[in-house]
Amino acid sequence: MINVDDELIEHMSSPNNYGRIDDADSIGIGENPQNGEKVIIYLNVSKKDDDFFIEDIKFEAIACMTTVVAGSIITKEAKEISFLTAEELVAVTLGMLEQVPPEQAACSEMVAVALKAAMDGFKLSLEKGEKKTLIYKIEQSCSPEKEFNATQEEQK
Amino acid sequence: MRELSVKTHELWLVVLMASFMSKDGETKRVLNDFSDIIFRHFTWIEKSLIKHNIDYDYNREPIPIKVDRLKVILNNIIDRINSIDLMLVSLQDEALRGRIDKDLSYIKDVVSKIDDEEVSAFNSKRVYKDYSLTKEATDAFTLFLFEESYKEYELIMIYNYLKAHSDNDFLNKIFQILVDESFFHLKSFGQMMAEMGILGVPRVIHKSLYQVEDVVQFLKDGIDEELAAKEQCLELSEAVGKDSQELADFFDFINYQENYHISLMQDALKHYEEKGA
Repeated sequence: MINVDDELIEHMSSPNNYGRIDDADSIGIGENPQNGEKVIIYLNVSKKDDDFFIEDIKFEAIACMTTVVAGSIITKEAKEISFLTAEELVAVTLGMLEQVPPEQAACSEMVAVALKAAMDGFKLSLEKGEKKTLIYKIEQSCSPEKEFNATQEEQK
Repeated sequence: MRELSVKTHELWLVVLMASFMSKDGETKRVLNDFSDIIFRHFTWIEKSLIKHNIDYDYNREPIPIKVDRLKVILNNIIDRINSIDLMLVSLQDEALRGRIDKDLSYIKDVVSKIDDEEVSAFNSKRVYKDYSLTKEATDAFTLFLFEESYKEYELIMIYNYLKAHSDNDFLNKIFQILVDESFFHLKSFGQMMAEMGILGVPRVIHKSLYQVEDVVQFLKDGIDEELAAKEQCLELSEAVGKDSQELADFFDFINYQENYHISLMQDALKHYEEKGA
């Protein structure tokens, strides 16, 4: 059973960065293939020096409340940092989850891989010259499961 | 008209949340009734959007509701009604525009006269009535309320969307009952959250949840979810049963209600499988 305290209640009642960014620079999706739960990360990105920066980040969860809490915590950390630092955040999060039972780890893992998918998708979009949305499935070493042209609907 | 729909959706939720915040029986009743009326406005506007082939969804802004005094949220409701007043011109149906305008004008007048109260719906005390629940039972109760209040809101919006897009009387009757049942649950859980000092507006639902592509699969998954919800109610009833028979009875009652929901969803599923939409 999760220990409930004021901080957790705050994340549940007013999750940080919940919602979508219209015309986001990049969208990434983390998906749990076992039950179809999803996390969608929206990024607005700027370039500073040699790295990209997350100017704005929002997320939506088609998942349980634990995932919403994880999204609230991770996106708060990821706001206004460079891609390089965000990659470290993803790696640290995934590393910490190795110590956690799989069913509890899945929620945070979905958020972390969605963030990675959004960053990788942004870089891929620059390479290809058109917007790409990546879906990473959890427990699959973050290898792209599916790549497709982002539809108008998904960009809204 | 799309913006009018979004703002009406938000107003409905704010009025509903204000009804949970009030501890005065009459104020609570009035705000609760008004929230029902505003939800009906929302469904009428939605029908008009569909009639005029205007693309729409249920996206909306997050709604900040944490206040210490009821007057603050009541003033917010009046501000929101004033904004909606200006948008009503986008409604092409004159009769509908007149009806909503009259309703909102009356609601605004009544809301402006409601007495102020201190609000304790956000104090995080997590005490329900005078029951002394264990920490474990309180935590389980808290998590259940957050999870299920969102779920009921989600179900209201899903079945409302399906109903808005169906012309089948048999299915629409089922969808309406499911909306009504979820309303009862949302109101029960919202009231409990306010008493526990943990009131929160359910988060925005992703459109893939209500713009259902495969209704048959959706209903099958929904039946599985209802069965899981029954289990959760049973577990919660056992967790709180030691400390409060009244709460245990409530969760047993909710548990038995899920049987009815499952039966309705099975009827709808049978209809889709035999006759399609």
